[in-house]
Amino acid sequence: MKRQAIGIIGLNHNTAPLEIREKLYIKEGSIPELLAKIKREGINEAVVISTCNRTEIYYCGDDNDEMVRKVRRVLADAVAAKDDWFDRYMYIFTDEEAFRHLFLVASGLDSMVIGEPEIFGQVKEAYRIAASARTTGFFLNKTFHKSFNVAKRIRSETRIGYNPLSISSMAVELARRIFGNLDGKKILVVGAGEMCETALKYFQKEGLSDIFITNRTYQKAHKLADEIIGEARPFEALFELLTVVDVVLTSTGSDAPLIGLDMLHMAMKKRKNRPLFFIDIAVPRDVDPAVNDMDNVYLYDIDDLKELSQRHLSNRVKESEKAHVIIEEEATKFSDLLEKIDINPLIGHIMATADSIRSGEIKKTMARLANKDPELADTIDAMTRSIVNKLVHPYLALLKNNQDPAVFDTLKKLFQFEDDDENEMDSGDERV
Amino acid sequence: MNIYLVYTALGFYLVSTFIYALSLALNKTFLEKPGYYSIATGFVVHFASVVARYFEAGYTPITNIYESLSFLSLCIAGFFIYIRRIYRVHMIGCIIAPLVSLVVIMSLNFPYEIKPLVPALRSVWLPIHTILSFIGNSIFIVGFIVSLLYLVVEKEIKKKRSFFFSEKFPSLSTLDRINYRCMSLGFPFLTAGIITGSIWAGFAWGSYWKWDPKETWSLITWIVYAILFHNRLALGWRGKRTAYMMILGFLLIVFTFLGVNFLLKGSHTYI
Repeated sequence: MKRQAIGIIGLNHNTAPLEIREKLYIKEGSIPELLAKIKREGINEAVVISTCNRTEIYYCGDDNDEMVRKVRRVLADAVAAKDDWFDRYMYIFTDEEAFRHLFLVASGLDSMVIGEPEIFGQVKEAYRIAASARTTGFFLNKTFHKSFNVAKRIRSETRIGYNPLSISSMAVELARRIFGNLDGKKILVVGAGEMCETALKYFQKEGLSDIFITNRTYQKAHKLADEIIGEARPFEALFELLTVVDVVLTSTGSDAPLIGLDMLHMAMKKRKNRPLFFIDIAVPRDVDPAVNDMDNVYLYDIDDLKELSQRHLSNRVKESEKAHVIIEEEATKFSDLLEKIDINPLIGHIMATADSIRSGEIKKTMARLANKDPELADTIDAMTRSIVNKLVHPYLALLKNNQDPAVFDTLKKLFQFEDDDENEMDSGDERV
Repeated sequence: MNIYLVYTALGFYLVSTFIYALSLALNKTFLEKPGYYSIATGFVVHFASVVARYFEAGYTPITNIYESLSFLSLCIAGFFIYIRRIYRVHMIGCIIAPLVSLVVIMSLNFPYEIKPLVPALRSVWLPIHTILSFIGNSIFIVGFIVSLLYLVVEKEIKKKRSFFFSEKFPSLSTLDRINYRCMSLGFPFLTAGIITGSIWAGFAWGSYWKWDPKETWSLITWIVYAILFHNRLALGWRGKRTAYMMILGFLLIVFTFLGVNFLLKGSHTYI
């Protein structure tokens, strides 16, 4: 096995406006398909992260330039991306730059709201999707797991994670500027995803109790309403709800706006122009932006909230500097680790084999487990990792400290390693 | 005697203005309270000055420009205290305190010596008509300020760039509610002012309504507020539109109060 190049091609809220991000947003359901296309192009490993603020494709293979071309082609094909978008809005990172970027993303330092915790879950989910689509291998497995560690380390060692500035808290603050006291104000959440759940929990913590949840899939809304104190309503009741609630938070995966001018004109008439405040954190947007021009209607989308969060940024600079130091340190260490794999392909092979057995077993175990608690999954993951590392360590130590060719050959046979077969690792991965 | 009380009251108003300005500049909300107490003390002293003048002159002292402006500023300060107590709103005093100070200073530029009351004003209707009208006017002036604030804060929240005012001043809903209260309290006073004025005119001039400029313009003002009242209650107008109407109404009040006296000559000029 040879050391392979890791790269990213992507765009985020810093490089591209919402209009472009909307177009390049890839729905969770379409990600496996995209991954399969990338794989068909001959790229062994790939992960797609797509959130409201970023769409990034992580890939790993032999020839970086060729991979960039291929990924661009797949992407252009999948989302009808125009050619000049790549130059104008997108960034490409390779190797150390690439995993440093991933570390930044996973720990929330590249987020619109610095330090927000949601992105960590989103990165994990993206990795999970790629893993079950079987497009992750040794290198991306390692890189992503490392990024999870880094994110956790940053959360425990800096105060960046203790962040009152989540989207939800900004929403509540803005709502206070419009409504003053929020007692008795009714809140509607459209969507039942992770963002909605976080927001709902925050609203509840703030003492807001009149909460309605609606979602295209009613069951999801119902489930969420059960978890918090809220009322689930069928999606068809959206208009009725707009005539009674005061604050609306939308975060659905809908392609077209759910709430348009006509609908709102009618709703405003019915509600006798009582003010209505929309927070639209969906990409693509759920609420027609023109709505903000209506009297007594206020709309903040994800980009507006970004502007706001930047105002509060200055007092967080210190914590974020600390976090960057950690990332620098981890990135250098990780880079060294990958270099070692490069020096001794057999070490890489042994580690890859061990890890592929490990991840295969984890998949089986997880499939059997009734309890899908992510914390449990993390614990199992960490435990197996340390068992494997401890088991493999004597072989690696032997290889590193012993120049005897006989040891090398024995280990090669033991781990079925063939020097020239560069796809060894892949087949090794899929054997399990 | 009463004039010294007015100067003392002005002193408190100016101190209040200073404290409010400081609180705004330093962004310290705890300074709002001393600012409020200062304007409230000013109000009490100012009120005492009007009572003192009443006894010195022997008539209700709302008979010339000085007395009118002074009484108007007293009413504004009083209505502000009322609003501040009900809505617990902060920082509106930042505008009211300098405004009240300014009106008092303006009034002092007019002759303030006590003169015998002109015969035309010797009536029981003088206190009734003037007090009702001035309370109404002062309520609408506060409504005007609140409407301006509403428009500024609304613009900030819509434009999403700067939040200077929306951070310091009450929320949009509170401003709108105060605006509504100004309208619903001011309107009966204005109506009563016009009716009592008309009755007085019936006694004094022999005709209840003779299209004197003051009468005409106060009727126009009344119609504007009546339309606003109707639209708010029946059509559910609120927010920006009502704020614009309140501003229009205020401009008409200013014209009726000052413009008619200075520009158009009529039976209602007593300077």
